[in-house]
Amino acid sequence: MRETGFLFLQFLFLLSCNESVKSPVAASDIKDSPIINRSENIVNPNSNLDLSPMDMIYFPEDYPIQKMTKHISEPPIARVIYSRPRIQGRKVFGELLKYDSPWRLGANESTEIDLFRDVYIEGNKVPAGRYILYCIPKEKSWTIVFNKNIDSWGLRMDQSMDIFRFVIPIIETNYQEEYFTMRFEAKDKGMNLLISWDHTTARLPINYQ
Amino acid sequence: MDMSYYPVNYPVLKIQDKITEPLIARIIYSRPQNAERKIFGEMVPYNTVWRLGANEATEIEFFTDVKIAEKKINKGRYTIYAIVNPDKWTFIINTDTDSWGSFKYQPSKDILRFDAPVQKNADIVENLSIYFDKTKTGMLLVVSWDNLSASLPINF
Repeated sequence: MRETGFLFLQFLFLLSCNESVKSPVAASDIKDSPIINRSENIVNPNSNLDLSPMDMIYFPEDYPIQKMTKHISEPPIARVIYSRPRIQGRKVFGELLKYDSPWRLGANESTEIDLFRDVYIEGNKVPAGRYILYCIPKEKSWTIVFNKNIDSWGLRMDQSMDIFRFVIPIIETNYQEEYFTMRFEAKDKGMNLLISWDHTTARLPINYQ
Repeated sequence: MDMSYYPVNYPVLKIQDKITEPLIARIIYSRPQNAERKIFGEMVPYNTVWRLGANEATEIEFFTDVKIAEKKINKGRYTIYAIVNPDKWTFIINTDTDSWGSFKYQPSKDILRFDAPVQKNADIVENLSIYFDKTKTGMLLVVSWDNLSASLPINF
């Protein structure tokens, strides 16, 4: 939530959604948090809302609402907690997000996936637990990485904590997603994690067995 | 939606190699805006279970066992609610996680209720704000919105 001026400097070196500020977007518009005016070690964070708001998705889709409106007794299967940067006139893939460089799949705190049961991805058993997710985008495919360096910020690459890497194809879309968006969709014997931004979307298939 | 950790700013400290204390807790909540409404007594009615946020029910996770008012709370995920009254806020720790709002609040799943005094804020807090503050014996969960705050003491 809270950051420091020092961290902002670090951001310039991290692959983040804060970098590569280009006109016509004013710098004050693209900060995803009030990181400049904050001195270190301030405890009270009655801060402004993050410019890249945090969101949470569940599978089954909208699980908390379904739980309220229907009588669901089974626990959820998965959820993702992530922040949602906006395009704001920038070119996303190939510029803001450099090809072959890690992308944190969000903003602010590292993007987290919680698996409430064991699942299978590309034939690999992924045990229940918490992971952070990041991505290495290429022009035709993305490498989605499950990493164990949880409760961290942004993306400080610690490849020694990578657990799994999955390569998935990307799809060009005829619509534009202004906000970075993730959602789950149901499929036979599992779900897809849809990851979309700008004119690009990709599906990570997650199976029960 | 936003999240707060104890130790305060844990994710940032982690990537800066500045961690001096183990990870204790995290709260995930949505941040409704004051928007010139009267909050306490109207938007948040008195004597009614309030979800302490918006959208998904507010979640508190303890990464270690903690104590609240001498009662041991096992590590794990919980939903936290509050009942607001003019003289006190009652914090409720409940095991019904992954829920929405407080519409299906089940008192049978409470594990703890704690009455906290109400404090006036020096400045109006426009967006509901929840964070942890260090104390000698642990931490305070501080909830602030509009002109009021209340704190839940948590020891570990």
